[in-house]
Amino acid sequence: MSLSDLSGVLQPIERARGLPNEHYTSDAVFDAERGPLWFSTWAGICVAADVPEPGDARPVDFLGVPLFVMRGRDGVVRVFQNICRHRGMILVTEPRKIEGAIRCPYHSWCYSHEGRLVATPHVGGPGRNTHPDIKPAELGLIEVRSHIWLDVVYVNLSGDAPRFEDLHAELIARWAEFDVPLHHGGEDSRFQLECRTNWKLAVENYCESYHLPWVHPGLNSYSRLEDHYHIELPGKFGGQGTEVYRQLRGDDGEVFPDFPGLSEKWDTAGEYLTVTPNVMLGVQRDHLFVILLEPKGPRSTLEHVHIYYAVPETPDRLRARNTEQWRGVFVEDIDVVEGMQAARGAPGFDGGRFSPAMDGPTLLFHQWVAARLQAMETAAE
Amino acid sequence: MKGAPGLQSRLLTAHEVGDSVTLSRLYTEAADLAEAEGDRDRAAFFLTHAWVFALDAGSGTADVLQNRLRSWGRC
Repeated sequence: MSLSDLSGVLQPIERARGLPNEHYTSDAVFDAERGPLWFSTWAGICVAADVPEPGDARPVDFLGVPLFVMRGRDGVVRVFQNICRHRGMILVTEPRKIEGAIRCPYHSWCYSHEGRLVATPHVGGPGRNTHPDIKPAELGLIEVRSHIWLDVVYVNLSGDAPRFEDLHAELIARWAEFDVPLHHGGEDSRFQLECRTNWKLAVENYCESYHLPWVHPGLNSYSRLEDHYHIELPGKFGGQGTEVYRQLRGDDGEVFPDFPGLSEKWDTAGEYLTVTPNVMLGVQRDHLFVILLEPKGPRSTLEHVHIYYAVPETPDRLRARNTEQWRGVFVEDIDVVEGMQAARGAPGFDGGRFSPAMDGPTLLFHQWVAARLQAMETAAE
Repeated sequence: MKGAPGLQSRLLTAHEVGDSVTLSRLYTEAADLAEAEGDRDRAAFFLTHAWVFALDAGSGTADVLQNRLRSWGRC
């Protein structure tokens, strides 16, 4: 399909316009985005904490592509296309522990945890388990290129994106101090939020601190707009930080332990960035959170939230308070992102404008989207 | 199955509950009975099932069963 003219997006911020309405409402654009924005780069599909033990497997619907994530007997997390190489049966339909082989429920072809085809029962006739034309070495599971960073499992479906460590070298370096053992807080530290909004609006909202005084008034007493700063690396990442992060304190004054070895900056800083396309991260001295966006369609997104700590055991009540605090903040954002979505049917809207002082990171995201879509169209011509 | 009182019903019960360990053992029993009756083809059919369910369960007997099938030229 031919996309609308995106040249307005790729202007300097003083003149730039945002992505046209159809980029938030159109099924065709949503489909067109799959290649350039998702499959050709590294997208987050789950967290490694979703498969904590060897043998744990979980299906993932990655924009209509059936995958499954598995922690093998060797402890390694792998991602496979969720399909048997025989007749194409789906292999993993619900989260479960696979103690032995991955057995197809249709004709019982069996695969090892590393994806090797290890059994083809009756393939040569009843009781005959080999056939010269069925070569197991050629019929292993289709593994999907994956990478884990800060416990998020990223995949590159196209197989040809730059290495994750190279593509995101600057961000990895910026947050190197958080690349330490992360401990998921457990069941009370994960939740989902359904949003009637296009996934990009959730990212755009996360980019900026401009909305904080109005949408999150609870922050005004200790984290004012002027305490926030932009983080901008064109073509790479954008977001914002605060210079006045304040630790949550329990009734007895207890706090969560800090991640080990942090520099002084993190005594009072918190940073909030998106690994494009869909992984929104927040780091503070004593906990880290992941918001993984799962688009359900052009107008619907499921947010998967996970909170991590520096140690395996943290005070239950404090942890629960922290979860509720963040849930409250993220729920406050839902109203505005759903409102942004609801207005996208207005035919006179030209994509809007960006405050040169306040909307820099947001425009960077629009330009990331526009540039990749334009490159796709150019390649197709 | 001839000479196997209750084996069929035990197999069906194990299938109903998805007990791969028991299924492997029972299909091995069925294979042994078939081999004793001189029916190698039926024995290989049942032993194949025993092997697959041993793989499914992650049982250490999977290799033994596969080797037995190999010795019959069935794997």
